Amino acid sequence: MYADAASLPRSRPAIPVKLPVAAVILWFGALIASSVPWFGELDLGALISAFWTFDPEDYSSVLAHYSWAPRVSIAILIGCGLGLAGAVTQQILGNPLASPTTLGVEAGGQFGITVATLFAPGLLAFSPDLAAIGGGLLAIGMVIALTWRVGFSPVTVILAGLVITFFLGAMNMAFLLLKGEWLGNLFIWGAGSLVQNNWGPFTELWPRVAVLAILMLLLMRPLQLLQLGQTSASALGARVGLIRALALFLVVLMTATVVSRVGVVAFVGLAAPVLARLLGARTLGSRLLWSTLMGGGLLLLADTLARWASTWGDGSLVPTGTATALIGGPVILLALQSFRNTHHMPGQETSPAGFLPKRRSPLVVSGIVAALLLATVVVSMGWAPGLESWHWTAITQWNEAWVWRGPRLLAAILAGVALGLAGTLIQRMTGNPMGSPEMLGISGGAALVMVLIVLSGAEVGRLGQLGGATLGAAGALGLLILLARKHRFAGNQLLLGGLALYVFMDAGLRLVMASGGTVASQLLNWMYGSTWLVSEVEAFGLLGFTVLVSGLLLLVVRPLTILPLGDTAASSLGLSVSRVRLLLLLLAAVLTASATVVIGPLSFVGLIAPHLARVLGQQTVGHQMIVAALVGGLLLAVADYLSRIVVFPNQLPAGLLAALVGGVYFLWGLSRHGR
Amino acid sequence: MSIKCCLRSGFALLFIGILSLPASAGTWQHEHGTLTLDEPPKRIITLNWAATEAVLLLGEIPVGVADRAGYDVWVNEPELPEGVRNIGTRVAPSLEAIAELEPDLIVTSAEMAPAADLLEQIAPTYVISVYRNGSRPFEKASEMLTTLGEMLGREDRANAILADIEQTLDTQRQRLEKAGMTDRPVALVNFLDDRHVRIYAPNSLYQSTLNALGLKNAWPREGNFWGFSVVGLEAIAPQQNSRLVVVSPTLPGLSDTLASSPFWTYLPAVRRDEIYQIDPVWPFGGVFPVKRLATMLTDSLLEGGSDNVR
Repeated sequence: MYADAASLPRSRPAIPVKLPVAAVILWFGALIASSVPWFGELDLGALISAFWTFDPEDYSSVLAHYSWAPRVSIAILIGCGLGLAGAVTQQILGNPLASPTTLGVEAGGQFGITVATLFAPGLLAFSPDLAAIGGGLLAIGMVIALTWRVGFSPVTVILAGLVITFFLGAMNMAFLLLKGEWLGNLFIWGAGSLVQNNWGPFTELWPRVAVLAILMLLLMRPLQLLQLGQTSASALGARVGLIRALALFLVVLMTATVVSRVGVVAFVGLAAPVLARLLGARTLGSRLLWSTLMGGGLLLLADTLARWASTWGDGSLVPTGTATALIGGPVILLALQSFRNTHHMPGQETSPAGFLPKRRSPLVVSGIVAALLLATVVVSMGWAPGLESWHWTAITQWNEAWVWRGPRLLAAILAGVALGLAGTLIQRMTGNPMGSPEMLGISGGAALVMVLIVLSGAEVGRLGQLGGATLGAAGALGLLILLARKHRFAGNQLLLGGLALYVFMDAGLRLVMASGGTVASQLLNWMYGSTWLVSEVEAFGLLGFTVLVSGLLLLVVRPLTILPLGDTAASSLGLSVSRVRLLLLLLAAVLTASATVVIGPLSFVGLIAPHLARVLGQQTVGHQMIVAALVGGLLLAVADYLSRIVVFPNQLPAGLLAALVGGVYFLWGLSRHGR
Repeated sequence: MSIKCCLRSGFALLFIGILSLPASAGTWQHEHGTLTLDEPPKRIITLNWAATEAVLLLGEIPVGVADRAGYDVWVNEPELPEGVRNIGTRVAPSLEAIAELEPDLIVTSAEMAPAADLLEQIAPTYVISVYRNGSRPFEKASEMLTTLGEMLGREDRANAILADIEQTLDTQRQRLEKAGMTDRPVALVNFLDDRHVRIYAPNSLYQSTLNALGLKNAWPREGNFWGFSVVGLEAIAPQQNSRLVVVSPTLPGLSDTLASSPFWTYLPAVRRDEIYQIDPVWPFGGVFPVKRLATMLTDSLLEGGSDNVR
């Protein structure tokens, strides 16, 4: 962060003693925990020598040499690599929340592997890295192409990375849902498993990691200039854009190389730098060093926990990705307590300007969007594929068609409206263009409960689903309020807290995915919003609810206009800041929960609808809200229609389609208006 | 005399007819309430492959099935004739397509519970879950077959199928026992990649085959409700005494990767040449895979193993 840089003393500060102590404890704890299961079978000497030799007569020794030792080594190697990559990423983007994940690298890598599995299994057998690196580069290439013209401004890069993550993630899911049986290995890859039965992967991996790490370290000095801020760095002769691009490229290469072997465990890349910073690493050099070390220790510990957990219960594999998420969640919460930056993210002052295109009449814009919505409804109700051919359903027969097409369409529109409203609320409230119900963690909380229900094997009806999701959303909200209270509900802390909750949910999801089979695809179906299960009663219930909440929203337009002016200004204008924030939070949460049970937690709409409203020239709160609601409704109406027809009689979840359709449009808008 | 005899047998036939009529038209209890049929269903739609298999075994051709293309690849036997319509995926079938086919019976499982009411609006729906927590898949699948037999008025056929399976299992067991092959446990696995396998647990459908053949499952722990656990390859290492049965398909290049891994080549089963690879058998089916597995497993064990997958 630039704020840190400004307060840095000129001379190199002494490294606080707790940093090395913590690192030593972490490493020794992890190593000992990892060795404990072997103590009964091998003595200490044999265990240590397992790293280079083995006794062919003793199968325990073979196992230690070819299974345990490479696993420990690869965990440390990958953890260090990801820790370093994370620290570098945070430096490039000047954002304590950044990680390789934020750049879409994992989603890209997974996409590469999916495509290879389905269309070129030979390539996968030849080298899985190639596919993952290709996908990772594709993702980062898209991010770079989109942010080139704005000089890789930090917030825009994160925004683009996030959108690409969603987009490629949605493509992955589409493949998984339609071809799930063929992609059993991908479920595991997505969950991140460090299981080894060979030294091959390690010996192949370490030189690459070493070379990439050295290259990154060579960029350290230019990176340090970046810390002084773009203007001063340019003045000092550093080509800011070029250095950022180069560093980003290295980060991607590192992440994709590392992750292609073991799957998605890269949460370490976020947690390690945060931990290092919390423990007092101040200078860039010390942050890089200690992030690297923390990363190695963290991943080893996480992997050991996963390994232990695998031996409990029915013995099925607990993916390392689950364990890293469980470690990572608390780390973010820790970060939440210690970052005292109530101001906005760095770079934000410049970036939103790109999202202020010329004003347009709200009446005309909302009229056009509403007309489009109406047209979508007519087409969706009338023009549909059958098993034989496409046909029009005359309006007189709509009451028959209503049963299959009506409730889901209505529910989709309402979910879109709710998400559009919630998204606008959150983005206005946090003053953050990345803010969305997904980031707030409300959807994540709802989904967490659903994941738990699936894990427990209980079969619940629609009502049970609704109840569970609402409970989860309320729980997430409660936790958020609790965590954010001491920060008076300031913007960035909320996003951080939401991210932590999302990560917990993600851990559960990864566990289910690794256990594989139809349960996983069922869950994914729900996660991406299957509207096909919505009944008439539920749709009308949702209608009443949305109307009610929209009425309440009229009350908060003024506070929403004032809040972004800053706490002091808002207080002096007679606003009880924390009370208003609480109310806004509640409204956003309730809206999100009602949408989540219909469309799942991962739809794009809460992020995208408010943006589109801005792109369409709506700048005041009230106008943006109305247009965002309409756009959200339109987006999901189209998505619901497409989900029904594109692969008929198969269906795709509407939320998934929204991510695909909306993602393309959003990327186009970003590259056009992001300047 | 002869007239009287004819008359009597005629009456008897009529009596039997009256008795057997309610058997195909009647009321059944199932997992989501009760189901009443006035006559044997003619247009059946099945929403999972276990149900598809059962209907086909009974000699009825469903009008629509879920994931048709997948059935041909993963289940394959009994064969699904041309002309059967696809009504969508197994997790999210298209209700509109189901309705368009105007079925008179839908067979599904509790996994579709959220959609049960919507399905009921289309046609009588028979909900039976072969796979769920605590159920024994083979017993449930037999129950499904028998009940569907009643609904279709084909109890005899259902019983004949079950008897045939029993017969096959018996024969294969005798073959194995004669060769003295039932002494050591077997582990049944499916390779997901070169590091992970699905291992079939004692609550799997495959277990019924193992029980009937007198074989012990090397994996002692319960799996998920489908009856398997995903484990790292090293998890099978402690089962030093067991034989390893690999169910196809495997990814291309797997045998090379394994051969280059000392961990694999030192595996006791590999050193004893006790890797047996068999053709695909659908592990989440009805009663039929039990028979298919029994035959293939016995053939493979008797033929002898090798030191790698194919």
